[in-house]
Amino acid sequence: MANRTDPAAKSIRGTNPQNLVEKILRSKIYQHTYWKEQCFGLTAETLVDKAMELDHLGGTYGGNRKPTPFMCLVMKMLQIQPEKDIVVEFIKNEDYKYVRVLGAFYLRLTGTDTDVYQYLEPLYNDYRKLRQKLVDGRFSLTHVDELIDELLTKDYSCDIALPRIKKRWTLESNGTLEPRRSALEDDFEEEEEKEEEDQIMAGLENGSHEKDYYRSRSPGRERDRDRKRDSHRHRDRDYDRDRGRGRDRDRDRDRERDRDRYRIRDEKDYGRDRERERERRRRRSRSRSRSRSRDRKDRGDREGGEHRKRHRSSVSPRRRTDEDGTAREESRKKKEKKEKKDDGTDHPDPEIAEQNRIRASLGLKPLRP
Amino acid sequence: MGSKVVTRKTLATFAASRVKEEQGKTIEVVLNDRLGKKVRVKCEDVDTIGDLKKLVAAQMGTRAEKIKTQKWYNIYKDHITLKDYEIHGGMGLELYYN
Repeated sequence: MANRTDPAAKSIRGTNPQNLVEKILRSKIYQHTYWKEQCFGLTAETLVDKAMELDHLGGTYGGNRKPTPFMCLVMKMLQIQPEKDIVVEFIKNEDYKYVRVLGAFYLRLTGTDTDVYQYLEPLYNDYRKLRQKLVDGRFSLTHVDELIDELLTKDYSCDIALPRIKKRWTLESNGTLEPRRSALEDDFEEEEEKEEEDQIMAGLENGSHEKDYYRSRSPGRERDRDRKRDSHRHRDRDYDRDRGRGRDRDRDRDRERDRDRYRIRDEKDYGRDRERERERRRRRSRSRSRSRSRDRKDRGDREGGEHRKRHRSSVSPRRRTDEDGTAREESRKKKEKKEKKDDGTDHPDPEIAEQNRIRASLGLKPLRP
Repeated sequence: MGSKVVTRKTLATFAASRVKEEQGKTIEVVLNDRLGKKVRVKCEDVDTIGDLKKLVAAQMGTRAEKIKTQKWYNIYKDHITLKDYEIHGGMGLELYYN
């Protein structure tokens, strides 16, 4: 009786809202004492009081997988189905972070795609710590923005399968959503401008070669997440080195050092003067072109494309020298074959080979022969 | 120093000589959920239950977190090895879901 959904509630994604939680987990929640004692006869107002008392979030824990109070409250919200305004109030409130997270989770489960992105993305700027209960019962530290990231990118969180939402770039191309503006955008633009000043001097030297490269670049690929862009950026060693040195040190010294550094690297890779210069020019043109375009997205795409193109073109000198090239490719193939054998996936018995393949994909050592 | 005095040094050298890489026996375990799903998994003695669940999930197509292995009412914990649970080759475990 007490577990029936409010008859006035709308169906969510074509089903009873409580069915968003799987059967087994649902019955576990119904049998839990927190649900029976605290969640009986809750309304939207009294739910807020219970939510303020939360001090950790999580899914199920322990050997028999007990649900956390957070789960029970999510279930209660699904049962009573509060108004959207109330949920947005939950999310907007700054004082109680667990109330915020509860609202965000509920919205992720029940809201439309546009709503989800619209209301959850501002929470990326919330850096507060959260306590999360893991499966084995221990607590771990996480942050609000990490959790929001999980909600928006993964399809499973807190033991609930999150409903599928459209990708951000789909909504952007439909026009229903604006392209994402990060809070760090202003900081990035400042640094871009500083870099541009540094690189103007260097750019004057290279002149026409740069333009050819610029034109021949392939158009960037669409990307839907800023995160990937940023991680690309930070992973690129040269970008970091360029930024660090350009800002702090003397420009001439910087250029000399860069040239030497690239030369040493290029000698290893190419061993050719022409390639070395092209490499240097390419790197500089990339950082210059980054500052040119105002749209961050294009910038990120171009950088990603160039980054990839640089590596791709680094293979071309090898292919030119046929004797060296083929020998190198052969030795590479032999190495790969040897690595496979260590993995155990080459075992004569197909069953064991199959098992070893699965183990390798999971990160376990192969079976002992 | 007539009798064998166990000093810290001797203990350390003794322990060092005994430490080998964990070499387990390969065993085959059967998991049955009595509703039609029967999975045979080849794994090692020294694998933990968590690893076993991952292997089972890879073969079955569910998620590893959804699987519960039991023997009567003993729910097997994720961090303990099969060897410690004395699970031998050919043994059948009960497969439940979380």
